[in-house]
Amino acid sequence: MISWPVARAAAREKLRSPAILAIGLCFAAAAALGGRAGAPREAFGGFGIPFLVVLTLALGAGLLAGELESGHAQLVLLRPITRAAWVGGRLAGAGIALAAIVVAAWLAAAGGAALRGGEALSLSAFAVVPLAVLWGFAWLSVLAAIGAVLPGWTNAAALVLAAIAWATLRGTLPAALGHPEWTAWLAELSNYLGPQDPLQLAFRPREGLGAALYDLSWVFFAWLVAVLLFNRRELARRRA
Amino acid sequence: MTGGQPTATSNTTATPALEVTGLRKVYPSRKGGQVVAVDGLTFQVRPGEVVGLLGPNGAGKTTAMQLALSLLDPDAGEARLFGQHPELLQVRRRVGYAPDAPLFPRKLTGLQLLALHAELLGFPRRDARQRAERFAEQVGFADPARRPAGTYSRGEAQRLGLALALLGDPDLVLLDEPTAGLDPAGVAAMRELLVSLRARGAAVLLNSHLLSEVERVCDRVLFLKEGRLLRTHEVRAGGRRVEVRLVNPAQIAGPLAQAIPGGTLEGDRFRVPVASEDAVPALVRQLVAAGAGILEVRLAGAELEQLYLQIVEGRA
Repeated sequence: MISWPVARAAAREKLRSPAILAIGLCFAAAAALGGRAGAPREAFGGFGIPFLVVLTLALGAGLLAGELESGHAQLVLLRPITRAAWVGGRLAGAGIALAAIVVAAWLAAAGGAALRGGEALSLSAFAVVPLAVLWGFAWLSVLAAIGAVLPGWTNAAALVLAAIAWATLRGTLPAALGHPEWTAWLAELSNYLGPQDPLQLAFRPREGLGAALYDLSWVFFAWLVAVLLFNRRELARRRA
Repeated sequence: MTGGQPTATSNTTATPALEVTGLRKVYPSRKGGQVVAVDGLTFQVRPGEVVGLLGPNGAGKTTAMQLALSLLDPDAGEARLFGQHPELLQVRRRVGYAPDAPLFPRKLTGLQLLALHAELLGFPRRDARQRAERFAEQVGFADPARRPAGTYSRGEAQRLGLALALLGDPDLVLLDEPTAGLDPAGVAAMRELLVSLRARGAAVLLNSHLLSEVERVCDRVLFLKEGRLLRTHEVRAGGRRVEVRLVNPAQIAGPLAQAIPGGTLEGDRFRVPVASEDAVPALVRQLVAAGAGILEVRLAGAELEQLYLQIVEGRA
């Protein structure tokens, strides 16, 4: 399911991208400066989300299409490797890059908080890191599935547009149609239109566990959809 | 030499390294119509054979290669590598492909890319790195290989593409314009490489616009136009021709006709058919003995060029 040589190469490539490094640096700097004294875990969980969203979008933009459009995917897929393993490898590589940056940001948050007299680093406080990575990885797999059919970085743009469209619809539809009771129903539906937030596991274990399991299955199914869509594609660039 | 054949086959009985039968590919055009890129293409490449694809731009040469490798889905016909479907993993292990104008991930170095492909071919990580360094050196790419691929010139990218194609010691190599962007030393190295591939029994399908190179290394040439195979030409069977530019053609016309009766003199050019390039030094000695002042000696090229113009361009 995963080609590890492809994953390592993808992680290396992502971690050398100036845009991704810049986002990572901002993330770590904000984490170091913004962590509340005594509570690096909560502080990271709070302000980390916007950075995590931007980072995930940057890592997932053109995750498959970039390689396909350059023609390098043709060469890789002429090796004895399945398309499923290649998709898995690209996804895992982006996930490794995401994890590396999240760990760095968390260390910066915890370090900053400790310097200001907060609590010392503890293993339980570290739990927020794999949860944040899982959430980002689940969204990365969504981006991979969209990217199996869309060109360039438009997979990230399409996801952002879909999120904005849904938020607008959710906010306006019940009032516009005179059904305010739909608001709660649409809010509930929202929970199932994409990965859920497993970070709450660090604070509310029962709800968080469900979200984490939901995200794990989301990763698998999004990867499966990405492979099914990608299997239908021709690899060569058309010339006519 | 053979001519006028709609298909190209060889009479040996070994399983062809590459066999395409009735391939057809139609692209939608930008103007809303259709473009037939490849139309009923049938040919074979056997182990130890170097076959050239010749034709004008848009003749379908690159599409034919991509169809053969299953990088494109044919609308009709099929391609088989070593008698099997091109997408089988055990088949892919035996194939190398160097595309025209390859692009690579900009942030990875040539060595990292070579090591990645070596690992994909099944070499353990440590061996993959060693193999990467060896192949980078083999194609004259050792120094640039340490730089990120985003900094490569066209020629450097071409060399990396070539190293990637040869990395697994393939039994079938498809090279799409491999000399484009290469300096003269690179072109000469490429020629030697093709000869060595043939010597170890690999099959090669070569797409190149350099007619002289094609004539020097290919056993057979396929002329394509508008997606169709117009004709095949057995280069080896037809022998070669040497063209000599003379300083004193008028003075030595008589002695030349006596010494080398198979040659023809037109203006200051003396043309002689030869069995192989091994015969060239002896021929030059004969010319000098006959009193010829030699300005230039060229092997081949002209014959294939004439054939190309005749077959593909329809010129007399």
